[in-house]
Amino acid sequence: MTDLRAMLVVARRELLERVKTKLFVFATLAGPLFMIAMIVVPAAIAASSTAGNQIDIIDKTNRLGVPIAQELQSKYDWKVTVVPADTPDAVELAKISKNQINGFISIPANALDSTPDDTAAFLQLVAGRLATGDSFGEAFIKAATTGEIAYRGDNASSQGITAIVRNAINQSVRKARGEREKVDAKKLDQILQPANVGTYHTTGETEGSSGTGAFLIAYILAIILYMVITLYGVGVMRSVITEKTSRVMEMMVAAVKPRVLMAGKILGVGGAGMIQISIWLAMGAAMLAYRGELLGLFGIKGAGEGSLPPLAAVEIAIVLGYFILGFFFYSAMYAAVGAMVSSEQDSQQVQMPVTMLMVVGVLCLQVVSNAPRGSASTVMSNVPLWSPMLMPMRYVLGGATLGEVAISLAILLISTLLVVRAAGKIYRVGVLMYGKRPGLRELVRWLRY
Amino acid sequence: MSIALSVRGIVKQFGNHLAVDDVSFEVKPGVVYGILGPNGAGKTTTLRMINDIIKPDRGAIEIGGLPPGIEAAKKIGYLPEERGLYPKMRVLDAIEFLGELRGLTRRDAKARGTQWLDKLGLGQWKANKVQDLSKGMQQKVQFAAALIHEPELVILDEPWSGLDPINAEVLRETVEEIRRSGRTVLFSTHQMEQAEKVCDAVCIIARGKNVLDGNLREIKEASASEGLIALGFTDAASRELADKVLADKELISDKTPPRAGDVADCEVKLAGSIESKLLLTRLLDAGVGIRLFEVVTPTLHQIFVARVGDTAAIAARNDEETLQHD
Repeated sequence: MTDLRAMLVVARRELLERVKTKLFVFATLAGPLFMIAMIVVPAAIAASSTAGNQIDIIDKTNRLGVPIAQELQSKYDWKVTVVPADTPDAVELAKISKNQINGFISIPANALDSTPDDTAAFLQLVAGRLATGDSFGEAFIKAATTGEIAYRGDNASSQGITAIVRNAINQSVRKARGEREKVDAKKLDQILQPANVGTYHTTGETEGSSGTGAFLIAYILAIILYMVITLYGVGVMRSVITEKTSRVMEMMVAAVKPRVLMAGKILGVGGAGMIQISIWLAMGAAMLAYRGELLGLFGIKGAGEGSLPPLAAVEIAIVLGYFILGFFFYSAMYAAVGAMVSSEQDSQQVQMPVTMLMVVGVLCLQVVSNAPRGSASTVMSNVPLWSPMLMPMRYVLGGATLGEVAISLAILLISTLLVVRAAGKIYRVGVLMYGKRPGLRELVRWLRY
Repeated sequence: MSIALSVRGIVKQFGNHLAVDDVSFEVKPGVVYGILGPNGAGKTTTLRMINDIIKPDRGAIEIGGLPPGIEAAKKIGYLPEERGLYPKMRVLDAIEFLGELRGLTRRDAKARGTQWLDKLGLGQWKANKVQDLSKGMQQKVQFAAALIHEPELVILDEPWSGLDPINAEVLRETVEEIRRSGRTVLFSTHQMEQAEKVCDAVCIIARGKNVLDGNLREIKEASASEGLIALGFTDAASRELADKVLADKELISDKTPPRAGDVADCEVKLAGSIESKLLLTRLLDAGVGIRLFEVVTPTLHQIFVARVGDTAAIAARNDEETLQHD
């Protein structure tokens, strides 16, 4: 009971020391602004990079140029000019180099032909080419690229641009082919209508939420956990080191048990982290929910389609459970690191292995998402080093039962308590030592003092 | 409660180094007790074991009847040699925090902390951060933080190290105040002059072992009876006459010239069971003009050097260095 009180007194101090700083208030409020920027800026960049694009079309079919131009003008607000069919490529390339246009589409006369689907027809094409005096290689390449509609431009590496160009051309080519075959216009529209496709994650037992959505949420949470640990776990370590460098620790360990001190410290620093994270998450969730309106404020339309699926209550509970325990586990490790060293500079090398262990967990998210029920996932999601990052994803993807989650959580909880205890012992012995960092053998001896 | 602190046969070994080897002593309530010894003698280790920072390998410690631990900690105020406060905390908050950890309620801790700061003349600094205070002011805040819960037993490890003369005086007054209120002070030091001024009882430790312990006055009286006498003569003729008397080996076992700045002409040590009265009679009979005849009470420093020896002090220092490189 008195231990508990002492722990809370220590936790309160650590919490207040952090929350009361200007930096904390600033980061807590600026974090969401940063998140807004993360949503708005890429969308704005994407929108601005595709808008106002200026291109020419050289159309040798005399049928495709106009519909493609209309499509690009009406839907994407591009400036499109259909130039005379005999314009040489060199002229257009010169225009690009003088920045008069971004690019041009060149449509060959046989663009509406289908590529030959059998060898005989293909060889016939090659023979025709050879007859016009092409070398064998040229003839072969030209035959293989029959009907290629090419877009050349200074922005052709942009995925957004190529997707828009490809779509507009596809749409027009298909429509033109339909018209050539005398298909009824109404029927043609029906044929060209895109199919409605959905993907759903399931293991056959439970119908999960939408596959990509669940993956995304688990993934984002793992990344947030990683960020919070690197921010606040290291905060715990710093706080331990400060106690050593400012010579407070001997007064402290005389008044409280080292492990109570450690637990209080982790709770206090963690509490500050949790406050910040809850504010961020709440604002983040609100922003995601209203991102369409938010982007609208910045004059960006058409983004923010598709929404993340809601999580079930049990999923939320599991995600939060691992989040909190994972934070405490790693903070305890960082506390132990802080207890080992006697200066901030020393800590850089010693904290490295801890950080690397965590990175392994983040990298292995892919392992779990690829095979949530595989043996690698099963093993790794029980190791306390990685379970905080991997198990929530494994569960959300339907790879684990509640019983398995309970076992993994229990392992994590016990490990956390053990690490806190060990950190406390190292700290207590560390009080006596300055200067030299202990080797592994010495550390083991410290644990027995 | 008849014993404030009892330490019985404690032993502590770090690796190959025996830091404390069978140390025992008892401290009565209301006493100022000094643990004296050269650097590396095991004083700090002993105090840390009393504070439950490290556990003894063997032996027992009782603080007012309690074993070291969280309950005993509420009765102890501890000012370690390596001391400091959280640099970014406000002064009053820092005192309040340590008070709370020693069992006070937050409200009590705040009220007492304010009283202490006013008493130490730091009232207007209570809202400042610890790091903004001068070193001397920080030392005062540390006293307050260690004493705020009015502990029964105050433990001070090398309290005078690094103190400016003003704070040394504040500390001496504080120790005196604690003694008057019937509480107990235990401190360690290698500064014998300071110890001599404030101690009721002492325990001398060297190389991890008790060399001597007991009431300071009794120790001094015991040493005084060892027959050291300082002599001063009226003139050169008397000095020559005295030299003849003092040459008698059955009377005087040792004769040393006076120490620098001393008013005596020489110091003699009486042989065997000779009483000082006999020496005085012999000198008067010989017609020696006597200006000074004083039975010397040795200083604590002299007793210390006599008991511990310079070699032990040096050896202890070497031990300490090997520990640091261990």
